[in-house]
Amino acid sequence: MPDSETLPAPKPEAWRLKPAFDARIILVCLLASFALAFSAQRLDLGRLFTDVGAFLMASVGLSEASSIGEGMSGLANGMIPMVFDEQTPVEYVDDLDMRLARPFARLEQATTQETVLDPETLEIVTRQTETSVLVEPLGYLFLVLIKMLETVEIAIWATLFALVASLPLSVLCARNYAPHVLVYGAARTFVAFLRSVPELISALFLVLAFGFGAIPGIVALALHSIGFLAKFFAEDIESADVRSQEAVAVTGAGPFAVLRLAVLPQVLPSFTALTLYILDRNVRMATVIGLVGAGGIGQELKGRFDMFQYDRVATLLLVIFLTVLLLDFLAARIRRVLI
Amino acid sequence: MSLAAELTGAAASRMSRRLLGAGPAEPAQRGRLLGCEQLAKAYGGGPPALDNVSFSMDKPQFTVLLGSSGSGKTTLLRSIAGLVSLDAGQIEVAGTALTRESLPSVRRCIGMVHQEFGLADRLTAAQNVMAGAAAGLSWSRLIFQAYPRDVRQRACELLAEVGLTELQANRKARDLSGGQRQRVGIARALIGAPQLFLADEPVANLDPQTACGILALLREAVTAHGAGVLCSLHQTDLACQFADRIIGLKAGRLVFDGPPADLTPDVIAALFAKPGEAAVPAPVAA
Repeated sequence: MPDSETLPAPKPEAWRLKPAFDARIILVCLLASFALAFSAQRLDLGRLFTDVGAFLMASVGLSEASSIGEGMSGLANGMIPMVFDEQTPVEYVDDLDMRLARPFARLEQATTQETVLDPETLEIVTRQTETSVLVEPLGYLFLVLIKMLETVEIAIWATLFALVASLPLSVLCARNYAPHVLVYGAARTFVAFLRSVPELISALFLVLAFGFGAIPGIVALALHSIGFLAKFFAEDIESADVRSQEAVAVTGAGPFAVLRLAVLPQVLPSFTALTLYILDRNVRMATVIGLVGAGGIGQELKGRFDMFQYDRVATLLLVIFLTVLLLDFLAARIRRVLI
Repeated sequence: MSLAAELTGAAASRMSRRLLGAGPAEPAQRGRLLGCEQLAKAYGGGPPALDNVSFSMDKPQFTVLLGSSGSGKTTLLRSIAGLVSLDAGQIEVAGTALTRESLPSVRRCIGMVHQEFGLADRLTAAQNVMAGAAAGLSWSRLIFQAYPRDVRQRACELLAEVGLTELQANRKARDLSGGQRQRVGIARALIGAPQLFLADEPVANLDPQTACGILALLREAVTAHGAGVLCSLHQTDLACQFADRIIGLKAGRLVFDGPPADLTPDVIAALFAKPGEAAVPAPVAA
């Protein structure tokens, strides 16, 4: 710069250094805290603190029962013990064949007491009936595991479809490889739209279109995942190191060759990590979208919750938690092998 | 203009060629190996990176671009490879004028190696070399990196020529040493049988002994492959040792052009002097 050469340089003691915090940052922080205070007032956030405080006081015996404590203990009483077995009265079972029954299944005699109104005497009497019950000790757990497997399958298919669709889409969304600025804009808008629709909402509509079952779940999850993967793939492509791209481009190769031979080897670890994260996330979301009838364990969860069978809900939650934990572990292993 | 836009531009021109039904790039007529006329380039209103630079290379020779950092060496090399768009001036490679339309065919006459090697770290050395022959391959071959037999054969020959073993050829680029990587880069540039070989500070990141080995290989590109080499350096001793001809650049201007014997200490001092410390010597006629 010619200017810096003609002007005398200031002495070090006269230098002015940029402050770490300037007035603008302080102003922004002040405005943000005002906005948050207003919002807290609107949402009655004070109740959060009073309720939690009351719960803490009650739990150490400083005060009477709190509303949170009552709700939680009611739920915990309903959940424990968990239910792993299935007991079906024999008359509800078609073609009972013990050889085909689940492992450890056995028949038990159970006496059930019924309180009924005797139509002749018009008195309420207690009647005891002997019924034969098919007891499957792990029957319900088995059913839950089948549902969980279906949920994982939904997530895997959704991730696979999303991966296949978002690879080409991400190229259109990358500023440096989109064939035209309009294509880039359209692709970005489309991807943002896909990302902006929550899976739960799209599943709600897709259940109307495809009917109950796994298919609306797969489509809903895939659409949202495309929106996520295409955006992040595109950002990886944009920020990939240009030197190896130039090196391939200088040989006269077209953009596809550059993408395959220079960009893809660079971004592959990141793509793998993103896809595994999406798979992990899709397993969790697949349980949620089951709530609106899109298949899998969520459908079972919603049914049991609505019937207040919290002991079965507890089993379901345990299986979901263990599955997510297992997948997390597996994803970490796969990532270590691939990268 | 960014690389991205340049790449897309190349793509667009390729596509339009295909749409117009034009055949494959016609072989370049044998003319001047490289002609640069009145090149000018300034980045974003700053001082000129290239200021009225003209020279030509008529026969295969080892030409060194000598100058300090920021003298415009990289800009010159990148503009010849079509990676930088010029503000003014004409470039001619192997008898073909460099334009948007001719860029893909011109690039097939060019091989280039970079200071940072520009290898794909996760591909093997051999895959990196074969990537230099990717132009004109079908999508399916590219996706599976299924190169034709002759390309594979040639890659092995070139890797052996630059001094790598079969074991190293199958090693990932990131597991190779700096010198080995630059050898892979040279093999990749040679696989397209270039008439013009551009090298942008090929030895800047290497120790002196390795640097001599790499420059000797580049000399071989002239003697064994008949390519003209344009190599930027900032080490005067290496330039004098290897070059047939030296072009001195200072602040984007061509200030010296002649054989290494003419590079006197005075010229070197002027070439590397900071602005304002010494008068810029008058341009030397070619």
